[in-house]
Amino acid sequence: MRFEFFIAARYLRAKRRQAVVGVITVISVVGVAAGVASLIIALAITNGMRRDLQERLIGSTSHVNLMRVAADGIKDWRPLVARLRGLPHVTAAAPGLWEEVLISRGPRGGGGLIKGIVPAEERTVSDLLQSIKQGSADALEPDAVERTEADLAQAVPPIVIGQDMAESVGAKVGDTVQVISPQGELSPLGMMPRFRKFQVVGIFKSGFYQYDSSYALIRLADAQRLFSEPDLISVVSFKVDDLYHADRIGREIAEAAGEGFETTNWMQQNSELFRALKLEQIVTFIVLALIVCVAALNILIALTMMVMEKTKDIAVLMSFGVKAEQVRRIFVMQGLLISVIGTALGLVLGYALSWVGGHYPFPLNAEVYSIDHLPFAPRVWDGVIVAAVSLGVSLIATLYPSGSAAKVLPAEALRYE
Amino acid sequence: MDVVAGSLEPLPRRVEASVVMRAVGLTKSYAAVAGAKGSGHGAVELFRGLDLAVHAGEMIAIVGESGAGKSSLLHLLAALDKPTAGEVWCGEKKLNEFTADQAAEFRNRDVGYVWQFHYLLPEFTALENVAMPLLARGTGRAEAMEQAAFWLGEVGLAERGGHRSGELSGGEQQRVSLARALVTNPAILLADEPTGDLDGKTAEAVFGLIQRLHDAHGLTSVLVTHSLEFAGRCGRVLRLRDGRLTEEAPKSIDHEFHG
Repeated sequence: MRFEFFIAARYLRAKRRQAVVGVITVISVVGVAAGVASLIIALAITNGMRRDLQERLIGSTSHVNLMRVAADGIKDWRPLVARLRGLPHVTAAAPGLWEEVLISRGPRGGGGLIKGIVPAEERTVSDLLQSIKQGSADALEPDAVERTEADLAQAVPPIVIGQDMAESVGAKVGDTVQVISPQGELSPLGMMPRFRKFQVVGIFKSGFYQYDSSYALIRLADAQRLFSEPDLISVVSFKVDDLYHADRIGREIAEAAGEGFETTNWMQQNSELFRALKLEQIVTFIVLALIVCVAALNILIALTMMVMEKTKDIAVLMSFGVKAEQVRRIFVMQGLLISVIGTALGLVLGYALSWVGGHYPFPLNAEVYSIDHLPFAPRVWDGVIVAAVSLGVSLIATLYPSGSAAKVLPAEALRYE
Repeated sequence: MDVVAGSLEPLPRRVEASVVMRAVGLTKSYAAVAGAKGSGHGAVELFRGLDLAVHAGEMIAIVGESGAGKSSLLHLLAALDKPTAGEVWCGEKKLNEFTADQAAEFRNRDVGYVWQFHYLLPEFTALENVAMPLLARGTGRAEAMEQAAFWLGEVGLAERGGHRSGELSGGEQQRVSLARALVTNPAILLADEPTGDLDGKTAEAVFGLIQRLHDAHGLTSVLVTHSLEFAGRCGRVLRLRDGRLTEEAPKSIDHEFHG
């Protein structure tokens, strides 16, 4: 191999008899470098987007949710939550009563998911209460003074809703909205839906349309009163110490909770979103990998022309005993040298620009993109994959010219010189 | 690389038999190009039952008219080509049965080949050109360069090792090419008109060098030449005519040259 490398490296450095071969060689190196750098930068941006999205998503939601398989609610939940909070990998747990409802204001309304929460505990598993843009969530705190059931029934309880929902029903802070539960109550006129007025005390904006358009937060006690489920919860939400193992930890929580319980995790809840992001990343990779393919085509052309230029030299090498396989390796190595130089330059350029992008943010219109700067998150593993693809494609490009070189017949090639 | 000519032991020679090379009933024919003049006969027959024996230490000149097949004969002897029929032997090795890799191995270890043109690789120095056959077989760079420097010294170019072929004169280029052919200490030196591309004085110098190295290193050499004068100075002269070799007395050739 040392001999082949010796010849290949010298051929690459030497001045060409045909200047065009040298030009195409330089174009090949630049092409590979441009392709690799583009891939690294594009992957850094998609990774950054994914990371930002994931961080905000994970901030807005709990990692694991525990519920009853039969959806019959969790009774005697306080000791259960206290016990599960002590499990390994569990960092926080919060009770909740979730139900699907209709929220309306006058003629405008829409479906939503109402979450009865205990704010102090909810804050340990979700950042939704921290993303309130108008009003505040203070009113959701339990009353310091115990009030009678009659007082509570008369008062208008507070509600915090998402910004998109507020816009769709036309509600502002201080307005009253009607929450209608499909869990009706039997009356002489038949099944009547249960409804109650709530006063909007805060509007949150998580950045996720799904949450901002359908989530509404009320006090757990008000939820239990609304759904006539005294001291019952439907969900225990958890934060865990390793969110990428939420699946395994979720199974452990379900096992610890006992029979009749099941869990879902943040990955399952958002699987379609992450699948779409992954697909976008793959498509980006394929499209940009075409640049590397074009560069590999240049390598093929440069090597083919070099083999034509070097036919006599190849014959001379063979005349003193260089084997056909060695000749093949010389030209494969030459192609790979072009690729290695281009790939190395591309990696340096790609990571350098990603570093600059990460340290000197490129501003974006937050109204349009929901982020105010282009996020860069370059990963070493991406570089490894991009380099492997670049070298692999280049290797394929060397097969034809190196094969032609190995087929040179020395006596024939030199006979007519 | 300071290696003084004669200070280094040449590499061991692999064929030491008294008959170094033998061709028996050699036939070589080429398919005629369709439509070419004279292609009506189907194939051009170059040799017809050609026999040749090259003994150790001999210096044989092969002469003949242009197109007689002298270069083709050397190609067959160097395993650069295969005969249509007949056999070529080098010691105990039958060249006809070689695979491509065996033929390459044979050319690398047992044959030193000098072409009419020097065919030095322009990207490499004279020293690297000479070392190339050793580097190709995997010899370490230091050892290959040491041997190359020795043979460059033997051809009188010890000081020109660092020069590329473009910086050498025609005669020097051919001498480097000769050193490259001898660096592996081959069983046989095959030279195809080694002086054919040189002017009279330079040709004389190169031929004299071949003679001197032949004698000094006990080489076995087969030279194709158009020069009857040089042929007359070889131990044996063979004329290739009508596809066969006929022996001629060197003196008669010399007489033919001097009129």
